This record gives sequence, C-alpha cells and structure tokens, in this order.
Amino acid sequence: MHETLKFHFTPVDTPQPDQANPHAKASTEVAGVVEALRGEFGEAILDLMVYAGEHTVYVEKKRIADVCAFLKDQQGFAYLVDLGGADRFTDEDRFEVFYNLVNIDAGKRLRLKVRVDEDDLHVPSVTPLFRAANWNERECYDMLGVIFDGHPDLRRMYMPEDFEYYPQRKEFPLLGIPGSLPLPPQTPEGDLTMDPFAAAHGSKPVKSFEEPPSEFSDENSEI
Amino acid sequence: MDLKDGYLTTTVDAVVNWARSNSLMPMPMGLACCAIEMMAFAGPKYDVARFGSEAMRFSPRQADLMIVAGWCSFKMAHAIRRVWDQMADPKWCIAMGACASSGGMHRCYGVVQGIDNFLPVDVYIPGCPPRPEAVIHALMDIQEKIRNDYSIVQDYEEGAQHLAVAPAAPTVLTPDGGTVIAPDVLYNQSE
Repeated sequence: MHETLKFHFTPVDTPQPDQANPHAKASTEVAGVVEALRGEFGEAILDLMVYAGEHTVYVEKKRIADVCAFLKDQQGFAYLVDLGGADRFTDEDRFEVFYNLVNIDAGKRLRLKVRVDEDDLHVPSVTPLFRAANWNERECYDMLGVIFDGHPDLRRMYMPEDFEYYPQRKEFPLLGIPGSLPLPPQTPEGDLTMDPFAAAHGSKPVKSFEEPPSEFSDENSEI
Repeated sequence: MDLKDGYLTTTVDAVVNWARSNSLMPMPMGLACCAIEMMAFAGPKYDVARFGSEAMRFSPRQADLMIVAGWCSFKMAHAIRRVWDQMADPKWCIAMGACASSGGMHRCYGVVQGIDNFLPVDVYIPGCPPRPEAVIHALMDIQEKIRNDYSIVQDYEEGAQHLAVAPAAPTVLTPDGGTVIAPDVLYNQSE
C-alpha cells in the first residue's frame, strides 16, 4: 500500500514595506517608558531608534546611571540582562556600550545605548545599581578599554593582568602582538617563551629526561 | 630455588616496559569539548580499562600521561606547564584534537596555536573532537612507544641512546635444562 508523500514548504513572508515587522514582539514595544524617560530627563535622551519593533534609547553618557536608577526604581526594570560594548571604528563617538533591561512583571524589554568617545573613555558604572553588571563591565573594560567610574573592582576579566592592549579594538591584529602574551618556559627553570609561534620557528620542547639538571634538586645541594 | 617450580628468563627492560605500558595513569587535562570524548574513552562502552589506563589521576604526582583535551589559552598554558612539571618521570603527553594540536579553528590572539609550543608532545590526535577510538589508538601508540623506549636499566644521561632490547619471548626452563616447554601456549609458536 502506497503512502502519499507530503511535502511541507517553508512559508515565505511576502514583503510588506508599509506594515510593521511581522516578527516584532509586543514585549519590545515600550513607547510609554520612552515617554516617561523624555519627561524625566529631557535633553539627556539623545535619540530613539525603532527597528523591528525594538526600542533603543540613546542616552547621554553622564546620565546613564541616573537613567538606569530611574528605570529600576520607578519603571520596574529591575533586571539587567546584558551589558557590553562595541567598537564602531568611527572618528567621533567611537565606542558604544549597550544595556539590555527587562521588566519582569510587565514583560517588557528596553535597550539603552551610550556612545563613548576615544578621548574620554569614562562611563558611570551601573554596578552599584545592578550587581549583574559587575563582570560585564569588567569584560567591556578588558576588551575595549572603556573605564567604568564607580566600579568596585575594575580589573581585567579574561586577559592577564599585565596585558597592555585591548584586543576587541578594531586596530588590534587578529593573531595578537608577538611578545605581549608570554608562553611558559620550555624547561622547568628556563625563561618564558616570548615567541607565540615557537614551534613553527624551530623550537622543540625537550623531553623531561633531556632537561638540564635543576639548581634546586637534592642531587646538587651541598648539604 | 626449587627448579621444579620452573622460572622465566627475560630482560629488566622488557619487564619494566611491559609494566609501564600496561598501567598508564592519565592526567585528564580537559579544557573544552574534547574532554567529553575523553570521558567516553574512559567510560564503560570504550572501556580503556582494557589497556590498564582506567585510573584517571587528577593529581599530577600520580599520573604519567597527560591528555591535553581542548583549546588552550595563553593564560591556561602556564597552569598546564606547571602541572606537567609536577608529574613524575617518565611521562608522556597526548595533544587531543585539532585545537590542542594546532590551535584548530581558534586562530586568534588568545589561544595557543598548538601546545607543542611549550610541551613535548608524543602523540597528536586529529579530529574535532576525535572519537574515543582515536584516543584509544593514541594510547596504544604511546604504549608502543614505551615498549621501544629506554627503561630504568639504560643510562640515558651518558652515551648515545640505543634502542631498548626487544620484548623477549619467555623461555621456560625445565629442571633438565633448556628445553622449551609448551611453546604453543606461551608465545603461539610450534617447535
């Protein structure tokens, strides 16, 4: 007995340029919150961008902590989902820090953005407001060099503490800067390996029985 | 000695190498997804206990085979080298997977482009991640290497390193002399 094969085609949305994005979710429509922000902060709310039904509010850099405090205390956005940075590689306002906030009770999402110029990399920290921002701000500092004023412990997150560069900046080479990240020594008491491609340049780590005798072993002590 | 009990003659090299190669204790340096396959390699299905290596030792003092499984960052490299230096001699190293062998898909500033930049690697395993059979194959390669390597009786600090004595087939002597008994049972040969 034959069974008729049924093919299911993936439906394709017909373009509807004059209508709203069909994939937009109601949770990202926060026009009322944006109005409240404009009423409270006025000129500090620089711009509002709506794309795919998502509201993104550009905030003046110096007021970002106040805006977050207002949203947390009076608008119910008590949950900081994400915080991060981007390098736009422009002459002015080169870096951008974004804040994704969620109002769990109302089921609403809001994105804040702050532009940071390369000459003045200081941004007020929101870690005193949202403890979740702690490591995200450290990561942003580690990768882009944005300095968060008021952060309790602004250290590097991933890279070693003595690393001198900010690797997510666009001018940083993908394979790194040779000599900036030392490898361990080739023998237990040797010097650090400064060449990141030591094996490609002919270095061959020796087996342990070929290692030079230790200065600290019992065999060589004169006791 | 009562000759009626019988005895075996062999070389110390062969016995020591036999014991070492069949009781390798791996130090699982699991850094990424390769460690999942390494767990399967140690688990009941692939059962590395058949090769005497089921005892994973998380202390470097008790291990003699380091399996570096996964990508290794420059920050982690120092910890790996430290663990390696703490392992007692003799010791061997497996670079498991593309990332540990060459950096793999992580061609970037933060990942070491192959752990052989700072560790003496004995066996490389290709794959992303390698299947447990491949890890077992690497373990068997290590065993083969041990069986053909120096042992405690060879002075490797002085003189040129020579090949170890080939694993001796046991010759069982009877009280009467050198008559080989039951060669078919012992090493599958017939006189």
